[in-house]
Amino acid sequence: MSVLARSVGNAFRNKIRTAAVVAVLAVAIGLALAMLVANQAVGAKVQELNASVGTTLTVNPAGGQGFEGGGEPLTTAEAETAASVANVTAVVGTKALRLQTATTADSSTATTQPGPGGGFGPGGQQATVSTNLMAAVDAGTLGNRNGSAGTTGATGTSGTTTQPSRTLPITATGIGAEVDGTGKALDITSGTGLGDYTASEAKALVGTSLAEKNSLTVGSTFTIQDKTFTVAGIFDAGTTFGNNAVYVTLPEAQTLAETPDELSTMIVTVNSMENVDSTKTAVQAALGTDKADVTQGQRNLETAVSSLDSVKNISLIAFIAALATAGIIILLIMVMLVRERRREIGVLKAIGARNRTIGLQFVLESLVLVALGSVVGAVIASLASGGIASALISSNTTTTAATTTQRGGGLAGAMPNGAVPGGGMPGGGMGGGQGGPFGGASQLLTSVTASVSPGVLAAGIAAVFAVAIIGALVPALLTARIRPIEVLRGE
Amino acid sequence: MIVVKDLVRQFKSGDRTIKPVNGVSFELEKGSLASIVGKSGSGKSTLLSLLGALDKPTSGDVVVDGVSLAGLPDGKLTEYRRRDIGFVFQQFNLIPNLSAVDNVMLPMEFAGVRKAARLQRAKELLEQVQLDPEKHSRRTNRLSGGEQQRVAIARALANEPKLILADEPTGNLDEQTGEHIIELLSSLSRDHNTTILVVTHDRSLAQKTERCFRLQQGKLTEEVRTGSRR
Repeated sequence: MSVLARSVGNAFRNKIRTAAVVAVLAVAIGLALAMLVANQAVGAKVQELNASVGTTLTVNPAGGQGFEGGGEPLTTAEAETAASVANVTAVVGTKALRLQTATTADSSTATTQPGPGGGFGPGGQQATVSTNLMAAVDAGTLGNRNGSAGTTGATGTSGTTTQPSRTLPITATGIGAEVDGTGKALDITSGTGLGDYTASEAKALVGTSLAEKNSLTVGSTFTIQDKTFTVAGIFDAGTTFGNNAVYVTLPEAQTLAETPDELSTMIVTVNSMENVDSTKTAVQAALGTDKADVTQGQRNLETAVSSLDSVKNISLIAFIAALATAGIIILLIMVMLVRERRREIGVLKAIGARNRTIGLQFVLESLVLVALGSVVGAVIASLASGGIASALISSNTTTTAATTTQRGGGLAGAMPNGAVPGGGMPGGGMGGGQGGPFGGASQLLTSVTASVSPGVLAAGIAAVFAVAIIGALVPALLTARIRPIEVLRGE
Repeated sequence: MIVVKDLVRQFKSGDRTIKPVNGVSFELEKGSLASIVGKSGSGKSTLLSLLGALDKPTSGDVVVDGVSLAGLPDGKLTEYRRRDIGFVFQQFNLIPNLSAVDNVMLPMEFAGVRKAARLQRAKELLEQVQLDPEKHSRRTNRLSGGEQQRVAIARALANEPKLILADEPTGNLDEQTGEHIIELLSSLSRDHNTTILVVTHDRSLAQKTERCFRLQQGKLTEEVRTGSRR
């Protein structure tokens, strides 16, 4: 019988006690693992956020954002000016278009051409053009409300008597690189990108839900302003609103809008996080404060990221605390066992066992208990970690989510149709449902999914074992102090 | 050959110093069976623990086959207990959740004997102490007192020690079973040429040993016998 076999046997000497110890250990270990999983999930999300938006600046025309406000439009020349600023690695221009379904356009005289007073909002920034595509999002209450506000507010001829059944417009954006309106790389699920984004070409990327609604696949065609476009790829933006969109190359969009050289927004990528602040100032200075508003995407995400960071810290502290608890449980249990078996340890010493043999036996016995606790704990963790992570996030971010969306312009405003700071979207009809005001922070927070990856679980269990060995070492060293003469003591 | 030279062990008990072993000297020939008798608390067990290196003397020395225990470090004392000493206790002191065979194999495992060899030797030893083969794999807490003491004796013999120290080996057994155990020890000392020292307060047991010492107030005196016991 080896030391290991003896240790396993000893671990089961008192089955009821072993069951109780394993149950308590399992809760501690399960909690530790769940916290580790939550920590990893949130950490990955924070990293992703920092990587995707942390180093981008958004440039809008001074006094305008999205399709709101006034001022002079941005130009390609200004994009070149911005690109020449130090620490700027890339400048991507975008041109926003609003595609109005042709049948609806017929019923309203104003919608086929851009300009204020149109049925669907001001067109200063955003040209409205016709298409044969149907929007994938139903107008619903919000869309109709926006629509009626727009119509009544207009001086147009349609009036209230010809109020048409509303069809929501579709967002089309001309892009200078394969990124979405926030500077994030597009997730193309089938087909390819547009190739050269600086060339005018009749190709488009279509959002998944829009493609589904209009039965489009890669290679299918549709029309914008009577021009035939071929679907080069289908992308998934991850949101209902984002997927009701079309991307074309920048020159193509400029041609469609009949505003060559004009840009709706510019997305400026800075070479590192540290340089974001200084570069923002430099770009603002280079473009002139009367020409452009430079906003920092990350500023608007700061509260979201910091609340995620605090969740990350809480989960890390909880992980360490649960780990320490597991260690203390092991320590106390093993101290108890050593005291209980003083006489037996004396016997082993009397018949010639070395101190290290006895110490090893007790460490192994504790590891058997920890192994059992880890198995049960891992099951608990895999069942509980999702719930724990979302509970942590929701309790920590309900307040911050509200503040974030109030300033949501940076994240959402970078998209031409996103939420506008300060309130609704008069005449827009662009909201596409509830996604508008809460599109930014709450979406990125709920997208933190705590999935139990085997790697994280293995690392957690390794940490548990390391703590258990430390916990068991103290009692094991205590055995060395027990003198063999204990064997002669009475019961 | 065991030589004990002026062995002293003293404890502090409150502000008094007690000396359960106070200047004990004697010699034992190899293969002899000896007993130490004395009243409870006369220091018998203390003397035994000093001889078995379970405890260290305050002064004096025990020399086993020319090796002095006084100067040995703890590691060497462990080795001495493992290789040269076999213990038999009043309380048997077997590991309760291990089988009889496993208990006998334990000292051999500590001595690094290969598994097959120690299993075979353990079975042979259990046969020598006349434990039913069917009880070899039974857990020792399910054996009777006499059977447990047989297993304990087999365990004491496992590493072929030079000296077996038995502390009240019949103390927890009925008279008849006790006699069997004494006969067993006696025949083992003859067959294995092992020195056996039995500590007891049982006069009848002491009568059956070759030499008999009496411990009184820490001092050892040998009772002179007329005639042979055998």
